[in-house]
Formats: sequence, C-alpha cells, structure tokens
Amino acid sequence: MPGRMAGRRALVTGGAGAIGLACARRLLAEGAEVVLLDRNADALSAAAGLGAAPVACDIRDPGAVAAAVTRAAGLLDGPADVLVNSAGVYRIAPLLDLTPDEWDDVLAVNLRGTFLAGRAMAAALIAAGRPGAIVNISSTAGLVADAAEPSAHYNASKAGVLALTRQMAAEWAPHGIRANAVCPGVIDTPMLRMMDDPAAGAAYLRTGVPQGRLGSAEEVAAAVVFLASDDASYLTGATVPVDGGVTAI
Amino acid sequence: MRAIVTGAARGLGAAIAERLARDGADVVLLDVSADVTATADRLAAGVAGAGGGRGQVAVGQAADVSDEIASAAAVDRAVDAIGGVDVLVNNAGIGGPDTDVTGTSLAEFRWVLDVNLTGTFLMCRAAATVMIGQGSGGAIVNMGSVFGQQGVAGGAGYCASKAGVALLTHSLALELAPYGIRANTIAPGNMATEMHWDELRSRAARSGTTFDEQVEMVKASVPLGRHGTGGDIAGVVAWLVSPDAGYVTGQTIGVNGGIWLG
Repeated sequence: MPGRMAGRRALVTGGAGAIGLACARRLLAEGAEVVLLDRNADALSAAAGLGAAPVACDIRDPGAVAAAVTRAAGLLDGPADVLVNSAGVYRIAPLLDLTPDEWDDVLAVNLRGTFLAGRAMAAALIAAGRPGAIVNISSTAGLVADAAEPSAHYNASKAGVLALTRQMAAEWAPHGIRANAVCPGVIDTPMLRMMDDPAAGAAYLRTGVPQGRLGSAEEVAAAVVFLASDDASYLTGATVPVDGGVTAI
Repeated sequence: MRAIVTGAARGLGAAIAERLARDGADVVLLDVSADVTATADRLAAGVAGAGGGRGQVAVGQAADVSDEIASAAAVDRAVDAIGGVDVLVNNAGIGGPDTDVTGTSLAEFRWVLDVNLTGTFLMCRAAATVMIGQGSGGAIVNMGSVFGQQGVAGGAGYCASKAGVALLTHSLALELAPYGIRANTIAPGNMATEMHWDELRSRAARSGTTFDEQVEMVKASVPLGRHGTGGDIAGVVAWLVSPDAGYVTGQTIGVNGGIWLG
C-alpha cells in the first residue's frame, strides 16, 4: 500500500539481516524514512544502497544504542516513531551441552538488545510527546519447544521478547506507543538451519507446516509493516505468528 | 476480490464491507435485518462517488446465517451476484443474555450458540465448498472475541460461542491449507457498537450505576484508553485477506487496545 507509511521515521535493528532488510525495503516502499542499525558495518554499507541510512551499532551495548538512536533522530530529522527490533542470533545446543557463556551471548542480543533499543526509542518519543509503534521479532520458538533442533537459549530469549513486548504495551500505551510481536516460523533466510538436511527439511514441511512451504522474509515484513501502520491502530501487546499454520496444529 | 461479509447492516460488518470495497473488492453484504439492502446501496453509491466505479458491485441480502437452508442459499445467491467468492468474513453475532448460568434458559443458551458458532460453521461450510471448487485459494476471517479468550460472569454462552469460533477456525485452517485457503480469527475487545452499548446499559441497570459511568469504566480498563472502532477492525481484516498475510493461517489476532496481554 504505497503511502501508508508516509511521514513515518523508522529504525530497524539487525538491518543487514534478511528479515531486517526486507522490513526496511517494505517501509521505504510504503513511504517511510528508514535508518538501519547493525553491528556489521560492511553489511550496512550494502544495505545503504536501498536508500536507507546506515548506523553501525552493537545492540548489546547501552551506550552504543543510546548514541545510535540519537544519531538516527538526527538523520531522520526527528525521533523515530517506528522501531523494528529484528537484531537476533540463532544457536543450536542441547541443554546438557549449553554453556553459560553461550546462554548469555544469545540472551544479550535477542532480549537485552530488544530492551535497550525499545527503551531508547520510547524515551525519545515520549520526551517529544509523539505516538509510535514498536514491532519486535520473536519466533514460534518462543511459543513451542523443539527437541529435534534444541536451542533453549534462543527459545527462552524469544519467549522473553513476548513478555517484554506485553510490558512495553502496558507501560507505554498511555503515551500512544503500541508494541506488538511477530513470531516467524520457518522462513527462507540464511539463519534457517532446518533445510541443512534437505530430506528431513522437506519431510517437516509436509508434516509440520500446514501450508507446506517455507515463508519468505517479505511475508514477515508485510506483517511487521501492517503492525507499525494505522491499520493496526487498536492492536497492542499482541503476538502475531507468521508461520504457515505451524502453531495452529 | 469477491467477498461476503455477514452481519453487515451496521457496525463492524458495515465498516469491514466498506474497507474491502474501498480496497477494490466486489462485496455481498449479508444480514438478518432487511436494513442491509440500504447499507449496501449507500456503500455502492459511496464507492462509485469516490471514483471507484470500475463496475464494482456492493449488494445486500437478508439472510439468517444460523438457518442451514437460508445460509446455503445466501452463498449461492452471492456467487451469482459477484461471480464467485474469494473472501468470507463471518461477523454476524449476538451478545446473548446477560445472565448467570444458573439463570439462563436452554433456549437462550442455544440461541447465542446458534447464531455465533453454528452460523459461522454453516457459512464456512458453504463458502469453503465454493472456494475449493474454484481452485484459486481464498481467505476466511471469523470474528471471535477477547471474551472467547477470557471468561465473563454473566456471559458464559457468549464466551463459549466465541471460544468455539476460534477453534472451529483453526481446525478449518488445517483442513483448507492444502487448497491455498487461509482461515484466521480476529478477537476484538470492547468495541463502540450497539451490541456493546446494550451490554453496558444492562450492566448499569444491574449495578445501579449510569451508562456513562459504565463507558468510562471500560475506557479506563483499556491500555490505549478508548473503545475500538469499525475502522480498527476493518484494517486488520484488510490485511488478513490480502497476500500480505499469505503465510498467516490458523491464528487469533487480538484487536483489543491491550486489554488482553496474554
């Protein structure tokens, strides 16, 4: 829908990743101005070809996040009123082999990073007295367990994102800031590991995914931009799976 | 896009039909009330007036969705009017009695289940059969409620009917996925509709408060601080029936201003 996001200022974390980049493209196509945050500066310069401004930032570092949000407000000529938290890492490790350091590393990016970016964005928006929308990328892994691809740290981080989203919604609703979460299922991105074994992956698509196919980053981005738009004006604190029906089984 | 919207004479259904028409759909509006013809005529004039034209159609039909024969005939007539059906929005519903279970008659309990749950089943059965035959996919959106996700004293029949709608929809999503047909539930919160005002009038009478006090109490309970509107629901329907929600099926989308953070 061209023009639906006209006049909106958007910040996308993990902006060099597949889903972050798809969100940026869709936001730009619908008329928003976009700043991409990522810790990978090389990937960011490639992303800047889209017409979005890149800002290098380690999402785990409170000082760096605060500085990046301020820098973004300068580039956007005002505080961002859309935040897409898509910075995330995925690791596989059975619980008995999972080390505390690995646990902390995943939680630091996926959960602490979402908290830090959300807090910095909302503080600036509230100070300016403006409404806005936050969309956090969680995962169906935050809703259901998976013995075949064990990743307790990832799953816990994504379930944590859902609780964090509800709390953002509850605390910031009086300021006109909505917060919702998207739970992508098996999405065709480089982060996906399910298809590493093509036969097993195809079997899972047949039996575990009602729609029988992988989703695309663009389909996740379409849900994200819907939630950020005025079409979702009465949604806050919601969990929206984009999973081909996986969680309906 | 060819769409059927039930409960479309007024309120949420009328707003949904208007949004789908504005997005370019041919729409059949169904309602148990004959007022639906006038609503459809206004919509058709508005769409044409807005420069839509393009031969777009908006027609109204009076039908009781809870009647097996009437609902099937309504779908047949809709297919005749707009050439098929790609989208079904089951919005028809009633609030049911505001009574405790111990004071609810079987007839009252059955009535709310008949309209809200059986009516949704009948319309889904008829329209899905058409969609499968067309072989070009489709989308179904059924109206649940936040009160299908949590209980309400005095609203057991309504809550049970709306919880039923959600799992009817999600089962349907699994059955229809192989045909490229998606099915999702929207769970509205407290909406600025006549049904909700009726409920607040009843609550006010029972508790010795005024209607205005009841309205304020509800608003204070909603994090976003207001009732939802037809436009709030129509925006979500527009997304769910579009290709933008192409990988979304079998889900309940809460549209409640944050009242249900679960």
